[in-house]
Amino acid sequence: MRLKIAQGRLYDPAQGWDGEVGDLYIEGERIVAPLAEVDLVIDAQGQLVLAGGIDLRGQVATYGLNMLRLWGWLPSPREIGELYAGLGYTHVHEPFLTLYTAKYVHRELAALPIVDTSASLAVNLRDLDKWLKSPEQLGEVEQNIQFLVKQTRALNVRIIEPYVRFRQDYYAHRNIATENLLELLTRLAQGQNSTLTLEASPELLRQPLPDPPAFHLAALGPALTEAELVQAALNHLDQGGSADLGLMQPAGYESWPNLPVQINMGFFRPLDLCPSPSQDAALRALELALQYQGANLAFSGAGPLLAPVSGYARMFSWLTDPSARLQDWGAELGDRAYSLADWINMTRTLPARLLGFRDRGHLGIGARADLAIYDLPKNTDKIDLSQYLGRCRTLLKAGNLVIDNFNLINPEIARATYYLQTGGEASPWLGEMCQYRSFRLENLWVHDHLGGDWVGVQ
Amino acid sequence: MIESVICTGCGCLCDDLDVTIEGDRVIEVANVCLWGVNKFIATKKFHSKKDRRRILAPQSRRKGRAFDISYDAALEEAGNILVQARRPLVYGLTNNGSWAQEAALRLARRWHARLEPGDLAFMAPYYEALARHGLYWAPLEEIRDEADTILFWGANPIHSCPRHVVRYSVFSRGRFTERGAEERQIAAVDIYPTETAKFCKPYIQIDPGQELELLQGLIAQLIEGQEPPKRVKGTKKLAKLLSEANFGAIFVGRGVSYGPARKLWEGLARLVVWLNTRVPFSLFPLASDFNSVGLYHLLLRETGSPYAPDFGASSGLSSHPTPVDWREVDALLVTGADLFWFLTEEQVQDLKRRQVPIMVLSPFANRTTAKAQVVFPVALSGIETEEVAYRMDGLPVGLQKLISSPFRPDHQVLADLEQILAGSSGG
Repeated sequence: MRLKIAQGRLYDPAQGWDGEVGDLYIEGERIVAPLAEVDLVIDAQGQLVLAGGIDLRGQVATYGLNMLRLWGWLPSPREIGELYAGLGYTHVHEPFLTLYTAKYVHRELAALPIVDTSASLAVNLRDLDKWLKSPEQLGEVEQNIQFLVKQTRALNVRIIEPYVRFRQDYYAHRNIATENLLELLTRLAQGQNSTLTLEASPELLRQPLPDPPAFHLAALGPALTEAELVQAALNHLDQGGSADLGLMQPAGYESWPNLPVQINMGFFRPLDLCPSPSQDAALRALELALQYQGANLAFSGAGPLLAPVSGYARMFSWLTDPSARLQDWGAELGDRAYSLADWINMTRTLPARLLGFRDRGHLGIGARADLAIYDLPKNTDKIDLSQYLGRCRTLLKAGNLVIDNFNLINPEIARATYYLQTGGEASPWLGEMCQYRSFRLENLWVHDHLGGDWVGVQ
Repeated sequence: MIESVICTGCGCLCDDLDVTIEGDRVIEVANVCLWGVNKFIATKKFHSKKDRRRILAPQSRRKGRAFDISYDAALEEAGNILVQARRPLVYGLTNNGSWAQEAALRLARRWHARLEPGDLAFMAPYYEALARHGLYWAPLEEIRDEADTILFWGANPIHSCPRHVVRYSVFSRGRFTERGAEERQIAAVDIYPTETAKFCKPYIQIDPGQELELLQGLIAQLIEGQEPPKRVKGTKKLAKLLSEANFGAIFVGRGVSYGPARKLWEGLARLVVWLNTRVPFSLFPLASDFNSVGLYHLLLRETGSPYAPDFGASSGLSSHPTPVDWREVDALLVTGADLFWFLTEEQVQDLKRRQVPIMVLSPFANRTTAKAQVVFPVALSGIETEEVAYRMDGLPVGLQKLISSPFRPDHQVLADLEQILAGSSGG
């Protein structure tokens, strides 16, 4: 199928396009150079043409998350997939996949229609403590992590707790403080030649990172428990580090479900799926977004309760429209308004770069034809963008029409889970590291029929 | 020999079986319990010398006698039942793989049927208690590694999931429990002495009807700091054991279903919330059917509720925590359960009197196949066909095909039945 998107207003920070009117050509699943003949022309005159959105931290398949449906706090996978598609998103990245929940996460991801998916392997450093204590074994640590990424079919690595801490007193000698561990993690990240994702926490923000560009801080919002931490986060960004926002909704906390939903996955702290909201932290996350002027900050929500996908459009408007902030937060919080280019960078360009997708997040020739086309008035000054950016008129995924004229016409479009083919092999001590697992190793790994469709990336 | 095979004997889904195959026959299984032997060698439960009878061909019943028929003829007969039903029920599913459960849910939706999990009476009150008090959850992996206090309540794991105590809860050696049972306090509450009692200290044997009083006593002593109004013998010991835990788990068995299940789950959930204010503690239903948990995950994911979905409700979809009223049902599809094992004589007679047609999918002959109008033999999941199942802590595993089989997988039969309905409704 050859397509022409005619006379759209093209926005792509990677190409330096900022609303230029032009045509895009698609052949098969790729954007191509102009074609002499096409099979279909989509008239995009006056409309905004962007790459498909990528949610860098979409908590949609975490072990235990399904239980939130018991209280009606989480839509069905079909609804979630359709919500993302309606927003113009084509890819969602799950942040919490662990060694033994990998199969669960992949089954849940496979149930999500329309959007492609991937996941981070959340490494529990407690499992590696013995070897982290010996810096000369760092190479083997790296080797085993690469092997585990391959076997669990994750796309990258995430550190939730950048320390080793045991509850058992008799293991206290094996604790490793954050400060010491960050040195090791920096060397690991430098060795892999990629950024390492750390879940943000107040403790981490207080700690100066040895090499900020080596780290991506995930979900800043809930970590901003004190005012000075905003400055710490800004410093990280200014020094070349990247982060995602972890925005939270401001309203409705008085009717917040005050129930515990905690999953113990072997980390020092259980995963809290119903965290107590902090309006102060939520406000600080937004203030941080408004203060930061660079291109290293990606958009993300702080989980399905604090920032449901259905609320993303409204969150976009806080960034682009002071009046929306006044309406929802009771204050304009300054007159900063994100430009479309800023917003596109934080929802497309930067997430694609951070996930290592060279053919996503932009409109260049050779890019995959994941396109979202929105209606937008010509003059975008001081308008509520959420009305427009929260509802795409046309969505193309790999060159196939998914949404046409605001209607979902292809809900069964092929979707895939992306994982990194590291080629890593296990070092001899992997068996020792996994000796207490309740699964034999061969049953721990993710096999084809436990998820998919699969796409391995190098 | 095929190593590291997963056993579908119970919800433990032990993954360390080594199976010896000769031709298309399993001749030896290592590391297996009696439940597993029952699946792999096809013997009767607890009678490993007695064979279970496989159903070798689809069957139809006329004038009380079963006749072998072709698969297509069985589908046609089942199709007649499907299209004529007005208040149909799909029952069981806790002993089916996840693909079969998904196929059954699609069938129930198209058939405008109610779908009733075989162990709803046990699991629904658990979910109701969670809905009210919240959830603290730890997978068996963490319990094995860290739990130093285990309480079995109305549960006899030696009988319901035999290797649970060895692999996860009592004798297993985890990272911080390297001396196994020596590092754990194990207690049990039950109304009669079971095999489990032999390694539980304290083992609290109560009279039937005392469960709630014991629980209320624990709550009064631990949470409210008061003397219980009526003290059941053992309350103090149990309170001491729970209060001294560093990491604990309460495994609840089907025994609670025979008492005031809702109140018991409610009290246990409340107790666990309080215990968690001090140390990690989990409340854990001991689901003995091999994919019971997979079914509840599926229902939550697809219907937003763990209860029995009714696609025939006038409102479109309603979900019920209480078991079905059998007097309403006018057609039955049973899979992954032996329904007639659980029904009362009165209910059986009522179904018989009203000539409610029953379709059954089963690899083995059982009480329900003996009463069914149409029987479909199916391949054994995890032995004769690939499948997916969820361990009792909600972690899925892939089940392998070890030997070939002339029988279709249950999910394929269910999909064929759905196709009949699709054809009859023109969609």
